[in-house]
Amino acid sequence: MTLSWVPEGVDTGLPSAARLYDYLLGGGHNFAADRALAEKFLKAQPNGRTIARLNRAFLRRAVLFLMDQGIRQFLDLGSGIPTVGNVHEIAQKADPEARVVYVDFEDVAVAHSRLILEGDERATIIQEDMTDPAAVLAAAQRSGLIDFSQPVGVLTVGVFHFVAPEKDPASIVAAYRDAVVPGSHLAFSQFTQDLQPEEMAGVVEVMKKSMNPMFPRTKQEITALFDGFEITEPGIVPLPLWRPDSENDDDPDKAGIYAAVGRKL
Amino acid sequence: MQRSQLAHVWARAISSTAYVPLSPAEIEAYLYELLELLPTAPETVAERMVAIRLTGPDSLRRTIEVLAPEYEQSVIATLSSQYAFAMRLDAFDQQEQIKVALMASKRRVERVLKVSEARFREVFTSSALGIAITDFAGVCVEANDTLAEIVGHGSLIGRSLFDFFHPADAERLGAAYRRVRNGVVDRFREQRKLIRADGEPVWVYLAGSLLHDADGVPTHHVTMIEDISELYLLQKNLDHQLLHDSLTGLPNRQHFVTQLEKLHGQGPITLYHLDLDAFSVVNNGLGHAAGDTLLRSVAQRLHAVASAQNAVLARIGGGEFGIVCFANEVPEMVSLIQEELTEPTYVDGHGLALSVSIGVVDRPPGSSSVSELLRAANSALRQAQQRGMRQWALYDPHEDAVRRGQAALAAALPGAVESGELSVDYSAVLDLPSREVIGLAARLRWGDLGHAQTLALAEETGISLPIGQWLLHESCAQAAQWLSALGERAPMLHVALSPLQSRDEDLVAHVKRTLDETGLPASQLRVALDIGSVLAGDDNVHVLADNGIGTGVDGFHGGYHELALLSELPVRAVVVRAAVAAEGTVLHAAMGDVVAAVHRLGVRVVADGVGSDGDADWWTSVGADAVHGLMPALSAAEMTEYLAN
Repeated sequence: MTLSWVPEGVDTGLPSAARLYDYLLGGGHNFAADRALAEKFLKAQPNGRTIARLNRAFLRRAVLFLMDQGIRQFLDLGSGIPTVGNVHEIAQKADPEARVVYVDFEDVAVAHSRLILEGDERATIIQEDMTDPAAVLAAAQRSGLIDFSQPVGVLTVGVFHFVAPEKDPASIVAAYRDAVVPGSHLAFSQFTQDLQPEEMAGVVEVMKKSMNPMFPRTKQEITALFDGFEITEPGIVPLPLWRPDSENDDDPDKAGIYAAVGRKL
Repeated sequence: MQRSQLAHVWARAISSTAYVPLSPAEIEAYLYELLELLPTAPETVAERMVAIRLTGPDSLRRTIEVLAPEYEQSVIATLSSQYAFAMRLDAFDQQEQIKVALMASKRRVERVLKVSEARFREVFTSSALGIAITDFAGVCVEANDTLAEIVGHGSLIGRSLFDFFHPADAERLGAAYRRVRNGVVDRFREQRKLIRADGEPVWVYLAGSLLHDADGVPTHHVTMIEDISELYLLQKNLDHQLLHDSLTGLPNRQHFVTQLEKLHGQGPITLYHLDLDAFSVVNNGLGHAAGDTLLRSVAQRLHAVASAQNAVLARIGGGEFGIVCFANEVPEMVSLIQEELTEPTYVDGHGLALSVSIGVVDRPPGSSSVSELLRAANSALRQAQQRGMRQWALYDPHEDAVRRGQAALAAALPGAVESGELSVDYSAVLDLPSREVIGLAARLRWGDLGHAQTLALAEETGISLPIGQWLLHESCAQAAQWLSALGERAPMLHVALSPLQSRDEDLVAHVKRTLDETGLPASQLRVALDIGSVLAGDDNVHVLADNGIGTGVDGFHGGYHELALLSELPVRAVVVRAAVAAEGTVLHAAMGDVVAAVHRLGVRVVADGVGSDGDADWWTSVGADAVHGLMPALSAAEMTEYLAN
């Protein structure tokens, strides 16, 4: 594949989940391969764009909820390509003193984030694998933006379905949980086969061939990940049911993703 | 429709078409503002819609559906075309952004690559190890200068590394590389010999591993080569030093033991233990440098003999050499050795004729250990040396056993003294011809060993002086008891001193102190000194006599010097040991003459070692005054009982 504007030597042939998400949200930070994958995704799950929008909206509501709980520092794991309504924008609009550390591993996402965050002293991006909590926490410490003696908002929004069972997801969540003080929160969302199982199976099949295969989880499995947390109201629910801003027509049964926020005990 | 109501309907219509990071109320307020601008500035409205990302696939359609009934067609048309234009610009902007991001990430990757490449280059060029990257045929794609130096060849690029392998190693190394390439092992590391361009060998440690490309496909071998020639030679030299005698260059004792072990396991052998006669004389007389020259010369000559006999030769001690070979004719071998050494060796202008004493162990049983063999050879050597110089002896197990028994006893004696295993016996000295007991001689006893044997062992181990003193003290104390029990009937105590004791400068003081401590009167003690010490001019006899202690001399032979001495010394008696000769013979008459001569000097004659009544009679017939040994020696307790009766 040749795209004249793509710098030589960058392989744009491999689609990435971050750019797929960007495309589903109507963004332009993507390549033909990403869009081709997105089309397959949409064939398997026609509601893909809505799910992306709802997930992004959940992120916004969750950040604002955490701000209401007094949290002023965020660790956004698997933050992806910056797009509309990034965490630092939402948080800093509510309180300019809010601090955000983004974590991603993918070169282009990290490079793009750096460009976006240039000049913002209260937000930064660290290039680490979120499934390696020790490395992430050490880098977050070094960034100087997170004070681990104060509550932290840990965000894993729309990323945990990329964590394979072999990586022991429970131990990863536990490591982050153990690194933060009680009163810290975990905002979590991920695909589930509890909703539209057929469509979900189709998506899993599509993503199998990408760099980011998917692992949907049942409500029970997600509940287990919240070990050590008190899950706040309304519990683990489809995206549009989590503390909606207003009445809407979004069908929870077609939302694909469960969302929840837990408070560390 | 009212503007606020329209804003509400518009917000409901588009909110599900795209994600806008605002609350529903905020969105409605934003749209309300846009409606205000719409009639006059539809371009601005279109740009603001794109700016907040109302850019979903259905966003424009839903907008037109809501707004078309309320506004002029031209307004809607301008809004639509400007929306499309703004979308295009926005797409360009985003593509530009991601291009910049891509560039940034690529530059970063390049920088990392550059740094790692620079690091690699630095390691590659400055490494003390030779490094080659080769294709699978062994041809160098890259090779550093260190490697070029090791193999002594200019540029190696394009040359096969295998060309420098030793032909004998090539096949095995080829197999090692294949094992790495096939993933059987990750790497190999071997000590090998390379052949330099100039044909010289180089010892190296060689480590081979595999290089992969970005997709993990193996592409090259990488080989690291460390020149260890110096180390190798040093090691070899060290090995040689550890196993060879630096003076003569012959194998040393340790090496000899190994060789001996090897040969001993292969068949019947003959082992020769050589000791240079009078080597210490050369060393002491002409100096150690001369001794060294001599040893080198002997080593050379023995080497000639050993080589001809296919024997192993080693220097196993100061002037000692070992030879071991498969069993051969011992006398022939011995004469070969002696002949070879007969030719004088010139050291500092002195022509030295040499000889060796040789101990031989011939065809020992296979079951004997190497240390037993070496000890046996040494034992045979001592036997040979006892016969004089230039002698040889075959190992005699019986003789060896006797010597070993004595050596073991001598070694045990000091311990025995400490633990009180020694005791004192008393044997009667009888008057002739009445055969009345006139004295008791104190005798050492150690288990089965009698006085003479115990004393000989004590002399050998150098503890005869303290043992003699102990004997004196014990017997004096006992004699003092008998004196107080028997009064005038108590017999005189006779104590014969060992040669060392007889020469002891403190003898007199010691005897006096012993008498003081035990309470025995000096008149009750007779001390016999070794005649050798008296002849040597020691004046202990005089001083003892001055102190009122009766003295005798032990070991009298009747020679002229001894008789001369008796005329000068205040001696009361001589102790004679001699075999009896038939009456009427010259010897009988001679002994009678000697006794008469001694009597003329006023000295009494005591015969020791008299074993029978007949012998006692014989001594009576030559005129001796007393005999000793006729009655068995008794312990103190037995003697006490005997005296009481």
